[in-house]
Amino acid sequence: MTPGALLRSLWTTDPQRVARQYLWGGFLFLLVGGLLAMVIRFQWGWPGQPVPGLAWALPESGGAITPPTYTAVFTMHGLLMIFFAVTPLLFGALGHFVLPLAIGSRQMAFPRLSAFGFWAYAVGGALMLASFVVRLGPASAGWTSYPPLATPAFTPGLGQTLVTVAVLCVGVSAFLYGLNFVVTVVRCRAPGMTWGRLPLVVWGLFYGAVLNVLFVPVLAAATGLLLLDRVAGTQFFIAGAAAVGGGGDPVVYQHLFWLFGHPEVYILILPAWGMVGDFVAFFSRKPAHGYRLTAGAMGAVTALSGAVYAHHLFTSGMAPVLGRTFMVLTLLISLPAEVMFLNWLMTLWRGSVRLTSPMLAALATMIVFGLGGITGLALGAVATDVPLHGTMWVVGHFHLTMGAASFLAVFAGLYFWFPRMYGRALDERLAKVHVVASAVLFIAVFGGQLVAGYAGQLRRLYDPYQYAFLAHLLTLNRWTSVAAFLLGAVQLVFVVNLVRTLGWGRASEPNPWRVGTLEWTDAGPAAVVLRGPHALSQPEVQQQLGRDWIGQAEPLPSGGLAAEPVAPPVPGVEGAG
Amino acid sequence: MPASSDSTAVASTSAPPDAQTPLAVEPSRGAWSLSPPENASATGDRIDALLARSHGFDFALAAVMLGWLLVAVLRFRGARKVAPDGGTRRSRAWVLGLALGVFGVVDGTLFLGSEGYLRDVLWNLRVPAEDPRTVRIEINAHQWSWEARYAGADGTFGTKDDVVTWNDLRIPAGVPVWVQLVSTDVVHGFSLPAFRVKLDAIPGRVNQTWFQAAREGAWEAACYQHCGTSHYRMRGMLTAMSPEAYAAWLREAGRQAAQTYDADDTAAHWGWAWRTP
Ligand SMILES: [Cu+2]
Repeated sequence: MTPGALLRSLWTTDPQRVARQYLWGGFLFLLVGGLLAMVIRFQWGWPGQPVPGLAWALPESGGAITPPTYTAVFTMHGLLMIFFAVTPLLFGALGHFVLPLAIGSRQMAFPRLSAFGFWAYAVGGALMLASFVVRLGPASAGWTSYPPLATPAFTPGLGQTLVTVAVLCVGVSAFLYGLNFVVTVVRCRAPGMTWGRLPLVVWGLFYGAVLNVLFVPVLAAATGLLLLDRVAGTQFFIAGAAAVGGGGDPVVYQHLFWLFGHPEVYILILPAWGMVGDFVAFFSRKPAHGYRLTAGAMGAVTALSGAVYAHHLFTSGMAPVLGRTFMVLTLLISLPAEVMFLNWLMTLWRGSVRLTSPMLAALATMIVFGLGGITGLALGAVATDVPLHGTMWVVGHFHLTMGAASFLAVFAGLYFWFPRMYGRALDERLAKVHVVASAVLFIAVFGGQLVAGYAGQLRRLYDPYQYAFLAHLLTLNRWTSVAAFLLGAVQLVFVVNLVRTLGWGRASEPNPWRVGTLEWTDAGPAAVVLRGPHALSQPEVQQQLGRDWIGQAEPLPSGGLAAEPVAPPVPGVEGAG
Repeated sequence: MPASSDSTAVASTSAPPDAQTPLAVEPSRGAWSLSPPENASATGDRIDALLARSHGFDFALAAVMLGWLLVAVLRFRGARKVAPDGGTRRSRAWVLGLALGVFGVVDGTLFLGSEGYLRDVLWNLRVPAEDPRTVRIEINAHQWSWEARYAGADGTFGTKDDVVTWNDLRIPAGVPVWVQLVSTDVVHGFSLPAFRVKLDAIPGRVNQTWFQAAREGAWEAACYQHCGTSHYRMRGMLTAMSPEAYAAWLREAGRQAAQTYDADDTAAHWGWAWRTP
């Protein structure tokens, strides 16, 4: 292949090929971020001791983690996982793949934006990796990059600057696919694909994309101003001893950052919720319970997501009136989440449950997300937030919701759509082992973090046992680390499955899960969508076609309208078609 | 679960340990203890009770969720009879009602409990402002230590007998302690885990909080905001003494400070106007 041809094949505007590019990119950074997590866990289990196999990277300390290395490791772990692994896997990979197909459109609204977005992401990723090898090492101011710590006065070195630019790059990418998804869903739906007939995963991707469009520019503003503080001598966020003549306000950065940072949690989890809603219906062989309520609840969470952000600042000395307001708004967001959760549970009830690998992953997502959500309640009220703020309780809580839940949702989606993506089905047994073991170990690891946090362990401590009141937690942390290493090892099951399937797998059936959504039952460009995404176990379909599913655009011989309407209209709830 | 013991507490008469020495302390509690750090604050039991209630809710909700899921999967796995609809008006009403009920009880309890604590304690700076016994301390956070300033025997900041300590907070037990908190370099997080106190120290801002020690003893102060390489060593000791011992210490420390006082050392003359509620 000539270099020109190679370049042309890399610059692709086909959403499915863009999806595959994001998939491999996301896996690469998931691997790097995961290995960094293992290093953190080793340090907490065996503080200051040489990490086996790491002597080549840290020759001066013989492989032991030093405090500067440690700060870089946890900073890069957070940045890589959120910006370069989980979000790109959910939106870049699964989103680009399924969104156009599921709404009956072959292309995205702006195909070249997809390609450009991927390359912005790839450049950002390259900068992240490059920062590991520059003098003074990569970023080390935490993934939140709070100034003044993140300014050159306290974190000199090219690494922090490279990483700041990398976050801007990935922000461009996230904004572009967000914009692209929103316009695609609004403008490119197939005839008959009303809002009330969208699969829930499309709802999740759509809401998540709306949040990208609204709030990624806020991140870009914060990061851009921080970059100016780093390279141009401005003082937007610098105060105190480092401020020369005037100076700015570090708290402004915190507000901007969390105004993006909290919606980011929902950016990650909304597609996951959508998948859970769909898969629970598909593999209970019945329509999703309260489809409109669920779509409406997801919309309510989306609408509220930017209005709760300041609970991250409860201990920043904010005015009581703000503290109270954000406490009420934060607690309020649990109401739609409960409606949605109960709808999932009701969908299982009186269904015909099939424990396929995507279903197991969806149920695991439900469980870890549920546990994560529940443990967030105490962080929503100011008084209970104060003792838990900045502790491992927070770490366990958000790793369950953003880490474990979105990770398991990525795999639910991958196991589900892999046959459509690569024409081959992954091995079900290996997939189930992978999903169940991952879920159990996720709960062990992040459960251990919750316990440590409740006992008072502060996060981001290189050596927590410097404190007498934390000394007794070494045993707990060590066992948590063992669970984390097992969790890392279990991912090999997936790698084996992937290599086996891509190398020697057999062609899969065209519709292995026997569901009716358009990505499995596309009836051609002129198809008219006739019904919702969960037309399962409909009596007239069973009578006439002898199967328990029917394509969204497949006419019923007698002309009846299976599974429509799903529900009488609920006034005031979004998603009514 | 073993209740937290007092073994981290040091008698008030002994000098506070050097806060920067790495510890070789025997674990004071079992490794699997689910209890929060020992409470030494006069108001901490309120927050602990609310926290315990919230964790009660956590366990109850988790049990209901897991139980429902398990029963549904076991009972309906591969079932032949399937409800072919997305629920009835009645079942959806149940979902809404149940969600509202759980929300009202769980979030309502947390909101009301939190609100009471905020009104009476956390955001009620009138308590230290109106109590004549109140002790005021100014804390300046640095990479990586806590610099504390006391007004000295004359009760006024910015005079010759101002006492400055590093990583060594001293307070009298049983009286309100009013803290004014700043940072000179980066954002730090001032926390007294045993007192349920946590507040950011932000350059360019003065934050205030207050607490009251329930008894004499010594407990650790920690930084909870990542503030650079040695963040994990930003450890201080807080010693709560009897009011008499505290007054004696302050008098002696103030006398020594006055001896070494240097009017030209502007770097030592920090301090901020006290914003009273
Ligand atoms: Cu600090």
